[in-house]
Amino acid sequence: MLTETQHDALTELINISYARAAGALSQLTGYRVGLEVPHAAVYPLSEVSARLKRSLDAQVTAVSQVFSGVVSGNALLVLDQKAAVILSDILLDTSSASGDWSGEWPEENREVITELGNILLNACLGTFGNLLKVHVTFSMPLLQIDVVDSIMRSTEVAGENLSHGLMIQTKFHLREANLTGYLVIILGVTSLDRLVAGLDTWQ
Amino acid sequence: MSSILVVDDSRFARRNMRAALEELGHEVEEASNGADALARYSPDRHELVTLDLLMPDMDGGVVLTKLRERNPAVKVLVATADIQTITRRELEDLGVTAVINKPIARDDLKRVVSGVLEGAIVSC
Repeated sequence: MLTETQHDALTELINISYARAAGALSQLTGYRVGLEVPHAAVYPLSEVSARLKRSLDAQVTAVSQVFSGVVSGNALLVLDQKAAVILSDILLDTSSASGDWSGEWPEENREVITELGNILLNACLGTFGNLLKVHVTFSMPLLQIDVVDSIMRSTEVAGENLSHGLMIQTKFHLREANLTGYLVIILGVTSLDRLVAGLDTWQ
Repeated sequence: MSSILVVDDSRFARRNMRAALEELGHEVEEASNGADALARYSPDRHELVTLDLLMPDMDGGVVLTKLRERNPAVKVLVATADIQTITRRELEDLGVTAVINKPIARDDLKRVVSGVLEGAIVSC
């Protein structure tokens, strides 16, 4: 779907964006964040759920944020349960039993993960926007704790025929814990073409 | 010491901002949405308003406009996760006093708040 040159440019763009996001996460948590090299690829939307389910728990925590502009779509930060619990514990300075997950999180935990998603998604997409000179406007972040299929079904954006997912997978290390997170950017054909055109002209 | 109104729908963000500002010796009042901010804002009391952009019902841009209608000289520091250069330019065109990106670095906040309160227009 992408040429080798485009894939190289996308990888570099993602590396820069993820470094920005990791910096934000480190600043928020007070811990050094080790980041594995992110793996990025574009898939038809129908494949995204299946790929996410291969390495995430059945139930996940996702923060989604619709964005609009020359390139529009829906961006999601998808975390497995362990990552969400550990991150909220660190940010709230609390201690939950990581295995005791009911899906009924206190409002404070939900708010903190929503704000974290907002910051990380903005760090990534904002860097995309700055480097590719494409301005996007964000809507309110939305937190969902659900199974992957339900979350992916809810990514529709009014007026947009979303067809592809730019899926970025990375593991990050925080406080001796290996946390798994995905960033998924869902785009329509037109927006994907514009993103690829941006990669072609990125210098 | 100055009195500062912190406007953000995220309790977590408000708590972080409050802690940082109180550490700098300021007095903080919180508002959890735009309507709450407009109800609480007092030109006689608040020397600075810190304002989130993405909020339900009334976004930060609308709150900014309404605050300026009440007090054209209001000092507003926008605290946003949006790091885009164009967003910052748009905010400057709207007349915000300064912009700072989330997550807030306390050293940056100290510099920006001091600059704003002393009358300098700074951006971080």
